[in-house]
This record gives sequence, C-alpha cells and structure tokens, in this order.
Amino acid sequence: MEGSILDAMRYVGAGLAMIGAAGAGVGIGLSVQGALTGMARNPDTYGNLLTNMILGIAFSEAIAIYCLVIAFLMLFKVV
Amino acid sequence: MEQQKRRPWRRWVVLVLMIVGFVVGGIIVPVQPEISVAAEKLIEEPISENFLGLGPLYLVNTLPTLAVTIILLVVIAFFTNRSLKQSARTDLVPRGIGNVMEAFFEMLYNLTEGSAGAKWAKAIFPWFATIMFYVLFANLLKLIPGFESIGVLHPAHGEGHAVAELGGGWANLLPQKVEEGGYILAPFFRGISVDLNFTASLAIIAVVAIQIVGFRAQGFGYLSKFFNTRRMFKVPFFGAMDFLVGLLELISELSKILSFAFRLFGNMFAGIVLVAIVAGLLGKISILPAMIMMFELFVGIIQAFVFGMLTMVFMAQATQGHGEEHEEAHAADAHEI
Repeated sequence: MEGSILDAMRYVGAGLAMIGAAGAGVGIGLSVQGALTGMARNPDTYGNLLTNMILGIAFSEAIAIYCLVIAFLMLFKVV
Repeated sequence: MEQQKRRPWRRWVVLVLMIVGFVVGGIIVPVQPEISVAAEKLIEEPISENFLGLGPLYLVNTLPTLAVTIILLVVIAFFTNRSLKQSARTDLVPRGIGNVMEAFFEMLYNLTEGSAGAKWAKAIFPWFATIMFYVLFANLLKLIPGFESIGVLHPAHGEGHAVAELGGGWANLLPQKVEEGGYILAPFFRGISVDLNFTASLAIIAVVAIQIVGFRAQGFGYLSKFFNTRRMFKVPFFGAMDFLVGLLELISELSKILSFAFRLFGNMFAGIVLVAIVAGLLGKISILPAMIMMFELFVGIIQAFVFGMLTMVFMAQATQGHGEEHEEAHAADAHEI
C-alpha cells in the first residue's frame, strides 16, 4: 500500500492535464471549418488554403501536445 | 487489343512481411520498453569528464543517430551534385536523384517566393530548405525497424525485465517484470528529434536566424519593432500603448524558441510512446503498431513541413516593416504607378 496514493494521484494528474486537449480540438475544428468553407466557395484557393490550414492546425495541435507531454512526464515519474 | 497484365508482386511482399511479423511476434513477445524523456546512456561512464569546461559528456544513444543522419545527408548531397553536374555537361535534362531534388526544392522555392516576395526569397530559402530537409530526415529515421528496439542491456536500479539468452552474446527481454536483478534496454539508436537538445538547439538557430534576416532587411529600424517609440510623444495614450505592445513582441520572440522546441519534441516523443504502448499492450498482433507507424510517417512529414514553414513565415514577417513604414511604401508604390 505504500506510495499507492502518490501513484493514484499521478494518474489523476495525467488525466487532468489532458483536459487541455479539448481546447485544441475545438481550435482544429474551427480552423478546418473555415478553410473548408473557403474552399467550397472558391475552389481555386484550394492549395493556398490547405497550406495555411495545416499551419493553423499545427499551432492548435501544439497546445494538445504540450498537455500530452505534461501527462507523460507525470505518468513516467520524471517530475 | 491485348493489354499486358501488370504483375502486382509488391503486395505479396507486404503480406509476407505481415505473416513474418505475426510469427516473430508470437515467438519473441514485444515488451513495453522503459520510456525515458532524456536520451539513454549507452555507456555508464562519461566519455570525457569535463567537456570544454561545460560538464561531463556521455555517449547517449542519439549521438549514433545524429552521425547516421548527417552521413545520409552528405551522401544524398554528393549524388545529387554528381547527377546535376552530369546533366549540365550533357543535355541539361536532370535525371534520377537530381531530378527529384530539383522538383522538391523548386516547389519549396515557389512556396517561399509566394509568401516572402521575390526580393527576400533568395535570403530566406536556404534556411527554410535546410531546416526542413534536416528535420524531415531526423523525423523519418526513427521509423526504421531496429531503432528503439536493439541495444545494450543495463541492470535496472528498480524494477526490470527478465532476460532469455539467445546465444552469441545476444539476449531478449521477457515480458515478466522482476523486482531485483532485472535489466532495462538502452537502444543503440534513438531518433534525434526525440531529444530535447536537438529540437531546442534547432529552435535557437531558427530564431537567431530570424533576427539576422530582420536586421539585414531593415537595418537598425528592425529594433523599432521591439522598442516602439515612434508615436510615443505624438499620440498621448496610444503611443505608450504601442511601446508596451513592442515589449510584448520581445517576449513573444523568446517564446518562439520554446514553442518551436516543444512542438517538435512533443510530437515525436508522443509518437514513440504511442508505438511502444500499443505494441506492448497488443503483444502478438503486429498489424496495429504498423498502422500507428504509418500515422507517425504522416506526423513526421507534417512536423518537418511546419517547422520549416514557420521559420519561413516568421522570416518573411521580419523582412516586412511595421505599421507606418508599410503604408508609406504603399503610397510610394501608388505614386510610381
């Protein structure tokens, strides 16, 4: 039983850290929605919009990745 | 008209590899590896006790991968150069690897010209292409089979795995965990982008290069982006506001280093953890980790593109002036027309 509360809290903390991924999900969804609307209205801008959309997605996804790194750091007992 | 039937032999190779993976996965069960954020040491003792006065230098397992990456890049550069020289001597038609490289870099150059303008594209393009190509190889090399899975066994300090001798000095880890006398694996090769040192140093290089391009484009006027005193004494309230916003730009410049470094490191580290956990959980079923590997291929390409693309976009922003100068330039253009 020794140290089990600490372990339990570690998993809880990792789970809580991943809440931040929700925001990234919303962000990615919004940017893809905007890009797709633009593409549907004006198909000529496909290439340009796709590049910028991927850039925007990478920005939002980075937030989720920070959360994931924090969760991993807790899970694997680095900090 | 009789068409010659193409024989699709490649799909049989894939099928055979799947069956081989299934059989081998049944004999040697995949073990969930010890995951560490820092690169593992191959030799416990440091190579040099006090390297350049900075501290001990260890032989970590990202150093062999770095050597492999650089050798690979040099070999590719050599053959591309030879191919292009040969085509320049004969009929100016690039063939083989020279053709591939020319198409690839022409695409990148057009991208640069599209967002930075023809004037500064020549200064920005080498940074963009170098960083992107290097990071692409760094990301993709970690997907080669044998990376992260073949290495030296260290005695574990805490919990470790039991080992089974295979003969000839080789052994494989067993999935059972033992409390004492177990071993952990330190692989020979670990992808270099799974090391924070690599991504952070690349991020620092990129951000410093952005400042250099900015100074080249605008001279010391580039500093007015950070210390914006242009309107401070003319406009009562918003001038001071501009100054504060300029100071915030200074912070955002520093945070670029952090976000560059952690974006690449986080994505790649999450990738290896995902593959390791899925392989360790599923054990004998080898097809799903292969799917995750395919996703990692996609992520690696996208992240290399994003790293290079962001460097390029920030450099293009740094070459363009800020606020009033911009409008003046537009006005001058209008006069010329």
